[in-house]
Amino acid sequence: MSPVLRIAANELRLMARARVAQLAIALVVALSAVAALTAISQGRESQEIRSRFQAQADREFDGQPARHPHRMVHYGHFVFRPLPALAGFDPGVDAFTGSTLFLEGHRQNSANFGDVRQSSLLVRFGQLTPAFVIQALGPLVLIFLGFGAIARERDSGRLNLHFAQGVKAGQVVLGKAAALSVVAGLILAPALAALAWLTVFVGAVPAAALMLAAGYAAYLLVWVLATTSISALAPSSRTALATLVAAWALSAILAPRLATDIALLAAPQPTRLETDIAIQRDLKKIGDSHNPDDPYFAAFRASVLKAYGVTRIEDLPVNYRGLIAIEGERLTSALFERYAERQFADQRHQSGLALALGGISPTLALRSLSMAASGTDLEGHRRFLRQAEAYRYAIVQRLNRLQAERLTYSDDSKRNSDPGAGRRVRIDPGAWRQTPDFVYRPASTAESLAASTPGLLLLGAWIALASGLAWAASRRLERAGA
Amino acid sequence: MPDLTAAEPAIDVRDLCVDRGGSPILKDLRLSVNAGEVYALLGGNGAGKSTTLAVLMGLLRPASGSVRVMGLDPATQADAVRRRIAYLPETVALYETLSAYENIAYFLGLSGARPSREEMDAALDAAGLQAGARTRRTGGFSKGMRQKVAIAMALLREVPVLLLDEPTTGLDPVATADFNRLVGGLRARGAAILMVTHDLLGAADCADRIGVLAGGGIVEEAPAREGLDVLALHRRFGEAAAG
Repeated sequence: MSPVLRIAANELRLMARARVAQLAIALVVALSAVAALTAISQGRESQEIRSRFQAQADREFDGQPARHPHRMVHYGHFVFRPLPALAGFDPGVDAFTGSTLFLEGHRQNSANFGDVRQSSLLVRFGQLTPAFVIQALGPLVLIFLGFGAIARERDSGRLNLHFAQGVKAGQVVLGKAAALSVVAGLILAPALAALAWLTVFVGAVPAAALMLAAGYAAYLLVWVLATTSISALAPSSRTALATLVAAWALSAILAPRLATDIALLAAPQPTRLETDIAIQRDLKKIGDSHNPDDPYFAAFRASVLKAYGVTRIEDLPVNYRGLIAIEGERLTSALFERYAERQFADQRHQSGLALALGGISPTLALRSLSMAASGTDLEGHRRFLRQAEAYRYAIVQRLNRLQAERLTYSDDSKRNSDPGAGRRVRIDPGAWRQTPDFVYRPASTAESLAASTPGLLLLGAWIALASGLAWAASRRLERAGA
Repeated sequence: MPDLTAAEPAIDVRDLCVDRGGSPILKDLRLSVNAGEVYALLGGNGAGKSTTLAVLMGLLRPASGSVRVMGLDPATQADAVRRRIAYLPETVALYETLSAYENIAYFLGLSGARPSREEMDAALDAAGLQAGARTRRTGGFSKGMRQKVAIAMALLREVPVLLLDEPTTGLDPVATADFNRLVGGLRARGAAILMVTHDLLGAADCADRIGVLAGGGIVEEAPAREGLDVLALHRRFGEAAAG
């Protein structure tokens, strides 16, 4: 057996005989296992609930009685974002952004029912998911078990005993790192099992699961190398512990908060209220379809009359009210779209900044990779909002077309004063059943992998940096002679 | 292994100079230890005794001078040198949750040796560690017991050179006498032993030669034969250490 393997095996034997180490490993592996099981069961349960609610919403829309199409425009429709198969592994921003949208005419509503709005404050700190356990607790356990790996050997004089056997400093550093890697493997094992389960039984994309496995393994490797190196470089085991705990607090706790704050400061977004006021102001600028003197709609009416070769709207072969509804919806949707795209661009800028800050924290780099591969990043949320908006626009315009094509202008104008007209403007409920259901199209595998790649590259850079640190630590140990 | 002629010392240090942090620690140190000889290097705290050992093990590079251990240069052939030496630190730090057997198997395994249980027992018998203690965890071992384990390791490795760093500090007189007997046994097997210490009496009891290290070099060297005036040497040692 090579000295590196012998040192690693001995380190593991020492851990196996130390009660505190046994307890720490057992605890984090148990937490990781519970998180993995929770991910599997919650994912399935949440998916079932969403599917059930979506089916119920579809049924209720389809089951509406004969109505005026514009009443259906305002009756609206709920759509639920299907849970990505890997969301149980890393819920990402889903818990905050919500996954349910109420779609109606003339409005673009926000997503609702994020977990944090339905649960206690604890949820905001961190859910017990494999992602949280490995991102936050995994490094802490590695630090706790590894801070003295070399420092304690040096403090006790055993390091010189190693050197006296002809062992090189680099072999000691590698051996200790290899032992800590085994612990990292134990922490990772339940999460890998969960990923395998989600891939085989829940339909997760294998490439995305592999990307997650690679990302989390790389992340723990960074901490293994950093812990071993600091243990070798620090003047005492106490200093090594203090340095590593400070690095953990900075990377896993402080940096994510700082990244959010820096991104918000660098690319501030208007509040919801400010946006609403701005939209209302712009809506007023577009014009008022009920005002006969409104210049935009007067011009619109003139163009419609000209197109049909008539002089009065009563002579049109279609219901002018329906045409106004179609045009109004086109204008407001374009406005909403413009605001939404501006907001998405701001968010993308913020996400880019947060990812760039991955250079100061491997946790940030991993979070970016993890959410992208799990399909729970902001891009996934934006994808849902875009598809839901496209669906909303399609069904509202479909209803507006029904109003324009199947109702007469005369009936539509008198529907509140003439009971007969009021009955005639109600459309057969079969029309609602012909409305297509909302089908969410998740990111393709290529898109998912492309979004995860920057995080993986950053983690690669972190591994290179930590390897350099380990090499420097070996050189220094060799030169200093313990 | 390079062949040593009978006339060549196992340890040969000539005009050794070592600086640490810009300050000279050793200045033109000369010393030699032959096979089958015990050399006691005496010196006060900070005299450079442990630095000398670090240079011999290849853990420190000299600023100038020549150092040879079994004919090899520790600065450039550290691995080969370390395979030929056994080092006993002042406090032999063993893994406390491992038994004496497990500690020996581990440390010897690092240098590629795989001693059998019988071989370990023979070495531990020679070192004087009682049989009942060998399977116990070494966490409860006294300093003397830990030293016996380390001596057993040196015996098993059959190395020609032993470096002992303050081996009798903190030992009671009985344990010191035990240790000196062990050193005598190793010398009889032909080992070259360099022992750094500030225990003049202990050195006089087991060494063949005594060198006093002060100001970075040997200021006095005397054979530790019958009739050595230990008190006079002690006085001069004190004066030299005081500078």
